[in-house]
Amino acid sequence: MPRETFQKELDRLVEDVVELGREVETCLVTMVEALQAQDAEIAKKQIGVDSRYKERGTEIDEECMVLQARQAPVARDLRLIYTVQVVTNHLVRSGTLCEHICHAVAETAESDRDPDLAATLSEMARAANGLFREGLDVFEQRDIDRARDLEAADDKVDLLYSEAMNLIVNPGKEGGGAPEWRTRAALIVHYLERIADHGVDVGGRTVFLVTGERMESAMRQYRDRRVDLDED
Amino acid sequence: MDHRETKEEGLSLSGISGERPSEERPEARERQEARASSKQDAVLGMKIENLSAFYGSFKAVTDVSMDIQANKVTALIGPSGCGKSTYIRCLNRMHEVIPGAYAEGGVKLGDQDIYAKNTDPVTIRRRIGMVFQKPNPFSKSIYENVAWGARINGYKGDMDELVERSLKRAALWDEVKDKLKKSGFDLSGGQQQRLVIARTLAVEPEVILMDEPASALDPVSTQKIEDTMADLKKRYTVVIVTHNMQQAARISDYTGFFYIEHMGDPGRLWEFDETDKIFSSPERKETEDYVTGRFG
Repeated sequence: MPRETFQKELDRLVEDVVELGREVETCLVTMVEALQAQDAEIAKKQIGVDSRYKERGTEIDEECMVLQARQAPVARDLRLIYTVQVVTNHLVRSGTLCEHICHAVAETAESDRDPDLAATLSEMARAANGLFREGLDVFEQRDIDRARDLEAADDKVDLLYSEAMNLIVNPGKEGGGAPEWRTRAALIVHYLERIADHGVDVGGRTVFLVTGERMESAMRQYRDRRVDLDED
Repeated sequence: MDHRETKEEGLSLSGISGERPSEERPEARERQEARASSKQDAVLGMKIENLSAFYGSFKAVTDVSMDIQANKVTALIGPSGCGKSTYIRCLNRMHEVIPGAYAEGGVKLGDQDIYAKNTDPVTIRRRIGMVFQKPNPFSKSIYENVAWGARINGYKGDMDELVERSLKRAALWDEVKDKLKKSGFDLSGGQQQRLVIARTLAVEPEVILMDEPASALDPVSTQKIEDTMADLKKRYTVVIVTHNMQQAARISDYTGFFYIEHMGDPGRLWEFDETDKIFSSPERKETEDYVTGRFG
């Protein structure tokens, strides 16, 4: 098949993105662990990772620019390079948010916590981490059937977000933990919601990569087809 | 319907018909004068229905239907031998000048069936001009290259003005205005090709067909031709065959991909859509393989 060299370069580009994604995923797993255990030592391990992710992100971006300049990609090649650039941005941003959360955990490890809010945060962290991993899997395997489940899973994160915010604004009788911890909790809730959104977007971009259609439009067609099948 | 040419005719280069004296064609003259005075005439598109093209018993292109939009550039791409050039030559009845060659199906310019029995192919070739891969100026001066076709078509207006206007529209005027009496052959390849375009424009066609107009040119000349085309579509309907896919992506509004599925089959129009669609997410796998260079 012609353009073998170009195809190899594209394959390597995707490998680089997935490798970066898996690194960020590892960071997220550690973050969940630190958050659940309120362990400053575990959290501190992840401080500083952000600059490495950004550096990798810049390198991938440059690879994309060179490929566009030299290979004049169109159609699926163009969609791939475009998707790689956007997905890389989502991965790097998730890594940055992960580091922010680890900072917050490390700074408030000794503070009193509200057990209900802490439990909601932990559950939300696990859900956000799951969505991120799922989005990355969808991208790696180009499995757009799984992409449609991402939005439903994100609804769960949004519910947890509301629940956590409610607990922050209306602390229980025990007082809702130390003020400095509660302030950080509000930030963590927001960061986790963003990480989950990044996971959903990575899946959505994969739908575009495979079908050439935006996630919303592709999903609408999918649902319409399901309705037709059910009616038959 | 079988569209074999009944009259004996020679090649009509660039839509210029040298076969008939002007006095025989008063309607052409009237039309031309009307167009010259009213530059904003409505430009016509073309409608092709179930067109097939033959060389004797060999069917080279089969069953092509396509709407060519007015004031747009339509690019035709596809592997060698898939019938693009044959097809484009059917659009101004130039295919049939090859002995034994004929076309079947419908081709309309606006509402006019260009293959109707009472339609004069020479008139059609003037209204639908053609520019070829290799620049083919006449062995005349630059001025005469442009003026000649209009003159033999009975143009009675201001010839100097027509030559200047045509050369300006072909983006060549500034480069040749001080040497109009020099031979067309003194120009570079890229300039010669723009001279041929100017010659085509001088007879006021409605559609311009271009068969790989820039494939023999250097990048700078190619870019000038491409820039020229962006201007031309404001006044004309343009159809271009090109092997340069990036060129198709740069200049066209619509793209047709011609393809032969099995060796020995006639060429087909495999996919036809807006250029943005063809080069971002075409419907058919073969189109995507071709535009991404994974073909063959």
